[in-house]
Amino acid sequence: MNETLLTIARKLHNSSRYRKAKLAIRDLLTNPQNDYKKYFDLTIVFLIVTSVMILIYEVKHPVPLWIEYYDLYFVSLVFAAEYLLRLWVLNDVSEMILDEYRDSRFLDKPFRAKKPLKKAFKQKLRYMITPSAIIDLLAIFPAYRPVRVLRIFVLFRVLKLLRYTKSINQFIEVLKNKQFELYTLLFLLAFMVMTAGIAIYVLEERINPNIESLFDAIYWALITISTVGFGDIAPVTDEGRTISIIIIVFGIAMISFATSVIVSAFSEKLNEVKESRIIEKINKSESFLIICGYGQMTKMFLRQGHSKKKDYIILEKDSERVEAARRMGYDVVHDDASRTEVLQRFNTKYAKITLLCLTNSDVENIYITLTAKSISKKIEVIVRANAQNMVKKFEYAGADHILLPHDVVNNMIHIAITQPTMYKALHAVLTGKDAAQIYEIHMHRYSDLAGKTLSDIDFKAFKLLFLGIHRNGEFLFNPASDTTIEHNDVLLVIGRGISLEHFEEIHRGVA
Amino acid sequence: MSVKNILVFGYGAHGRHIAKGLLDDGYLLKIVEEKEENYQRAIEDGFTESVRIDMSSDEALLELDPQSYDQVVCIMDDEHYNVFITLSLSSLFPELSIVAISDSIHTSSKLKLAGASKVIDLYEVSANRIHNILNRPVATQLLKDFVMSKTGISFMEMEVPKGSFLHGKKIDEVDFSCYDVLLVGLVDKSVNVHSFEFVTAGHEHTLESGDIIVCMGEVEKLRNFKKLLHRKIDLCREVKT
Repeated sequence: MNETLLTIARKLHNSSRYRKAKLAIRDLLTNPQNDYKKYFDLTIVFLIVTSVMILIYEVKHPVPLWIEYYDLYFVSLVFAAEYLLRLWVLNDVSEMILDEYRDSRFLDKPFRAKKPLKKAFKQKLRYMITPSAIIDLLAIFPAYRPVRVLRIFVLFRVLKLLRYTKSINQFIEVLKNKQFELYTLLFLLAFMVMTAGIAIYVLEERINPNIESLFDAIYWALITISTVGFGDIAPVTDEGRTISIIIIVFGIAMISFATSVIVSAFSEKLNEVKESRIIEKINKSESFLIICGYGQMTKMFLRQGHSKKKDYIILEKDSERVEAARRMGYDVVHDDASRTEVLQRFNTKYAKITLLCLTNSDVENIYITLTAKSISKKIEVIVRANAQNMVKKFEYAGADHILLPHDVVNNMIHIAITQPTMYKALHAVLTGKDAAQIYEIHMHRYSDLAGKTLSDIDFKAFKLLFLGIHRNGEFLFNPASDTTIEHNDVLLVIGRGISLEHFEEIHRGVA
Repeated sequence: MSVKNILVFGYGAHGRHIAKGLLDDGYLLKIVEEKEENYQRAIEDGFTESVRIDMSSDEALLELDPQSYDQVVCIMDDEHYNVFITLSLSSLFPELSIVAISDSIHTSSKLKLAGASKVIDLYEVSANRIHNILNRPVATQLLKDFVMSKTGISFMEMEVPKGSFLHGKKIDEVDFSCYDVLLVGLVDKSVNVHSFEFVTAGHEHTLESGDIIVCMGEVEKLRNFKKLLHRKIDLCREVKT
């Protein structure tokens, strides 16, 4: 027995095909990032919906035999297969057996397959008693036509949809936080219903024609305490009515308590849920901005940037500012950007992240810079420095760009004084407000232009003013027209956006 | 670059930084402060011409004679004061050109109303700089260098003098590259004094004396070109013909 299991486990372990298949199926079933999971999910949802529609339809109409077979066998079969596959990919029994074998060899003990089997079985059993697994199992049982009650099993197929709706999962997640309160409430409710039920049963069973069994009495108690009050069973004696009064008052109190518990659970968790959705959404994007701090600068930055569609997220630790940002409709997360865990929630491995440290405290900005750089050197950091003597520290911390607001203003005042006429134009160019701007044309994007000379490009025809070439860190101003364009050159031009678009169109078209 | 006189209001966190920058660029500054502490600091930092006045008094402001300066700059830390001084000055001297800084949109519009000719929003320009770094890193750095003329290449504004060879010529007819300068744009006096237009806007423009042209190039070449503007004959054309 042990030997056979061991050979099977070895065989499975050595079969790359088996392992690949298992990995692929596990990925399809459990990894939300899997490309095909979407289609798999849609298929399951389709089966569920059709199955339920058949159930509703056949209440009044006869259904063709093939539809009945489809519902009875095909849907059930698919669900059964899904259930078994989920159970299968849960753990690797063969690996566990081999591990145990290796351990027993190491300790020079006789090998027993019982232990790993037991462990694996326990794991599977633990999975089987989770709510979603139970629903899956019940959803397999076909609606056995002759027994009408069994058709209700189809409704478990509806419950299966829960797996595919994120909001309900989050709802349950939220309620889990109030587990203690809700359990207490449930216990109290059960206690009250039982007590009241038994009391009415003892007091009125002989007098009240509507109460025939203890079940009737408990049913009455629940209907009354929930303030639903169908009225099909009503107390007839004064004692019975007294009990009614007590449990009605108690019921109202309990309902309001339950409501407040749920509401407070939501108001506590709602922002967290929203935030995790925002982060989830942004992590899907290939490149995005993380803006730390929601102050004047961030406000300005966002106000200017709304036309340029770039994904961004704001991190702010002050709750008042978070509220302000939310009111403006920005994606904001209430968290401290200087904590490693916070930045690690982002897709730092694959996405191109640019971090903007715009808080008004240099100490905080430096800390955030260091945090980001310690997570990944790939994160580009643009940081705001408030004092000149901080620049060195930021450089040391690894910031890619350091911005001194005073310096920038100094610049602008300088222009305003030395070049009053140009000020407007330059201001427009610098702020990107006006029609004309300075643009960069990166030559590596235009394969057909490298190797040609400048005279080959008719800038005038595009209404672009050619300023020069940025090559290997140097700027060649207005070079001679026979200059050859190199692959890594950046051409600087002044002109309007549409001119540049036109240029891009023409020259990419050639490539 | 001719030395200019600048009257600076405020020597706080912003003022100190900006004043030092302007001093490095070779301007003559006079600092005006109200707070004793800031005034002392200005003196310590070498601005010996600084004065301390009561900013709310018109007499004190008149005494400063702001009109004798080429430029008035309001860079106090308190935006209320900036607005107040701008308003006082422009009511006293309507012709005065005032540059003021602001740190929010609301203040910007107030400063404009108060009569500042140029308002620089501290956060607006900084936020812009970030956008530019993100979208056009090379151009941003270069433009900054042009403006501060670090690379030897800069902008220069020049007026087309009377009797210049440029008078009556179309832009396309003049070979600016022969002088190693690049025509960036111009202000047509006959249309509007303040409407700067880039050459790429595509209008067929005939140059006249009185127009202001903005050229880009090495500082030396620009100066040379400015001198040559007074001539009646286009030197480059002569060489060719």
